[in-house]
Amino acid sequence: MKKFALVMLVLVMAFAVTACGSKDDAADPIKIGVQGPISGQWALEGTGFVRAVTMLAEEINADGGINGREIQIIQGDDKGDPKEATLVAQRLVNQGVVAVVGAYNSTATEPASAIYNEAGVLHVTPSSTATGLTEKGYDQFFRTCFLDDRQGLFAAEFMTGTLGAKKIALIHDNTTYAKGLADWTKIYLEELGAEVVFFDAIVPGEREFGPTLTRLKNVNPDAIYFTGYFSEGGLLLKQARDMGITSTFVAGNANNNADFIEIAGIQNAKGAIITTEPIPTDIDYPEARKFIDDYQARYGEMPPSIWTLSAADAFRVVVEAIEKTQSTDKDKLANYLHNTMKDFPGITGPITFDEKGDRLGTVHRAYIVNEKGEFVPYSN
Amino acid sequence: MKPLWHKLTEMIGRTQKVWYVALLILVLVFPGMTTSYWTDVAFFFGLYILLGLSLNIIVGYAGLFNLGHAAFYAVGAYTTAILNTVLGIPVLYLLPISALAAAFFAYLITKPILHLRGDYLAIVTIGFAEIVRISLINNIGGLTGGPNGLLGISRPELFGMRLYTPTHFYYLVWFLVIMVILAMVRLEDSRLGRAWNYVREDELAAEAMGIDATRTKMLAFVVGSALAGVAGNIYAAKMTMIAPESFGFWESVVIFSIVILGGMGSIPGVVVGAFGMVVWPEIFRGFAEARMLIFGAAMVLMMLFRPQGLWPSPRARRAMESQKKSRPSAKAGTA
Repeated sequence: MKKFALVMLVLVMAFAVTACGSKDDAADPIKIGVQGPISGQWALEGTGFVRAVTMLAEEINADGGINGREIQIIQGDDKGDPKEATLVAQRLVNQGVVAVVGAYNSTATEPASAIYNEAGVLHVTPSSTATGLTEKGYDQFFRTCFLDDRQGLFAAEFMTGTLGAKKIALIHDNTTYAKGLADWTKIYLEELGAEVVFFDAIVPGEREFGPTLTRLKNVNPDAIYFTGYFSEGGLLLKQARDMGITSTFVAGNANNNADFIEIAGIQNAKGAIITTEPIPTDIDYPEARKFIDDYQARYGEMPPSIWTLSAADAFRVVVEAIEKTQSTDKDKLANYLHNTMKDFPGITGPITFDEKGDRLGTVHRAYIVNEKGEFVPYSN
Repeated sequence: MKPLWHKLTEMIGRTQKVWYVALLILVLVFPGMTTSYWTDVAFFFGLYILLGLSLNIIVGYAGLFNLGHAAFYAVGAYTTAILNTVLGIPVLYLLPISALAAAFFAYLITKPILHLRGDYLAIVTIGFAEIVRISLINNIGGLTGGPNGLLGISRPELFGMRLYTPTHFYYLVWFLVIMVILAMVRLEDSRLGRAWNYVREDELAAEAMGIDATRTKMLAFVVGSALAGVAGNIYAAKMTMIAPESFGFWESVVIFSIVILGGMGSIPGVVVGAFGMVVWPEIFRGFAEARMLIFGAAMVLMMLFRPQGLWPSPRARRAMESQKKSRPSAKAGTA
């Protein structure tokens, strides 16, 4: 037992020494944090955040920075885990960030937002859609994504109205986002008088959806709405068509990716519809096109998901606020974002925040896959 | 076996006393010496010591391979979250209730599976943990909030003081860690602790000596799960939001690794194991992407060169040595 005490003592001291070493503040550049799952199951998304923000920051620095000050990006990997998220948040606060873009999933954003709120750090999440996040009265918390219910409403109205579907099948993948979207869509569909004939989940990462599709085929829906991600979406569509299911295939904004069409194959994807924020190439703002072109030129691939664009917007909003207020004071920044900024030209459409920090308006649109395998705006 | 008073006098013997007092002072002043980030790391260090100690009862003492410990942790956390958000019961009152709920749950699910041994039990516990996680996602009874989890768990209050800073939680968790370690030291050599040892080493012989093996194993699960329930309560209070993804298979693996890394059945082993699993990756945070690589390599090396754990219990150490000397195959199942 004596040995135990001795070793513990050494451990604690080593711990304290490392701890002291990490204190430093020489705040010349403006420090902005990016928090997200850089490793782990959502590494693709977190890497997208970091890449988008780093690229934009370097462009700004090359042009002389914001108000003559350089931007320094500090990244924090939370693996999508709430406990790592608190640690990342504490660490970023200790490193003196003035604003943070992140985290990816709502459960990681929640504990982090409390820490940023207490520390007075501007916090913009690109992708956490849980409704409760903005209900806590944090005045420096914003999100550049829309809540699940907005897209759900759009999808429900689109399928029952424009497509005239009566019997609708909903498929999600049990992730927070996909299930949330499916739940909301179900609520609105039932309000609009449509019948939800199928409501089930597939397992992300799986390659074979035969059992689910067999049951789906039996109920013969007019339309299928898939709320999960493109890698499963493409496969699901392909296998559905292979099995002779001819229902209209509609998918949520996580399928807004060229790989969706590639995985499904053009002959299957043709006529598939996605509900999403406007596609960047479809927005008139030069910022949107430029972002996509730059991203592709630099990293050799399209942004992995809509959330990458949303992260870029979160960062651009932060920069805009710092630039316009000539300040890094969180009250001034928050006030600017809440009250002054209207229709900021975002990559995902015009951005305006309400008093809670949620994004106003619905910008969702429907796109259909044409013969050449491109997303084109849906028209009757 | 030493009498209890002997053990106690030994523990507060003069030379030890100095070290323990120094250690206690360090634990007490630690938050003052460092940043809120490292205080939070120390909080999670403490929380995982609790979880490690709780699984150590099941895996270390009783030798039951439980790879689904996150399920009991989840029951504790969700009991706290549901009773707090729906009925508004203060979080700290729910601490014993969470422990009871997790213990009761353990009683229910382990009753039919206790006769399974080794890997079979491990597989069944993995299955149970997955059922729990998926049930939480599917929002059973409309209570668990589905994949979004439960939000808005209130902060605990102690003697009229609201606990919310990293420092508050640090003291709360380390107070519990010290209490639990003291209890574990006593438990190890208690009648029950010894019974667990007998059952682990040779169930048949234990029964021949009048030990009710099923009841003894059940008690290991119940006591271990109760402690996991306590950890769940603290976690819910600290996070104010819980969701099924925090209680997945990976969480069970981390807790299991803490026990294995340190050495099964060893209290200091759990502390060292928790340090390795929780604090070690934080120290390497600066390496960004290579961080988990370094961590994984360290784990592999550890298992190659110290299969008995970093700090094996004296009993396990003796067993390893005698195994090397004379009986190469007799204990193949427990190493």
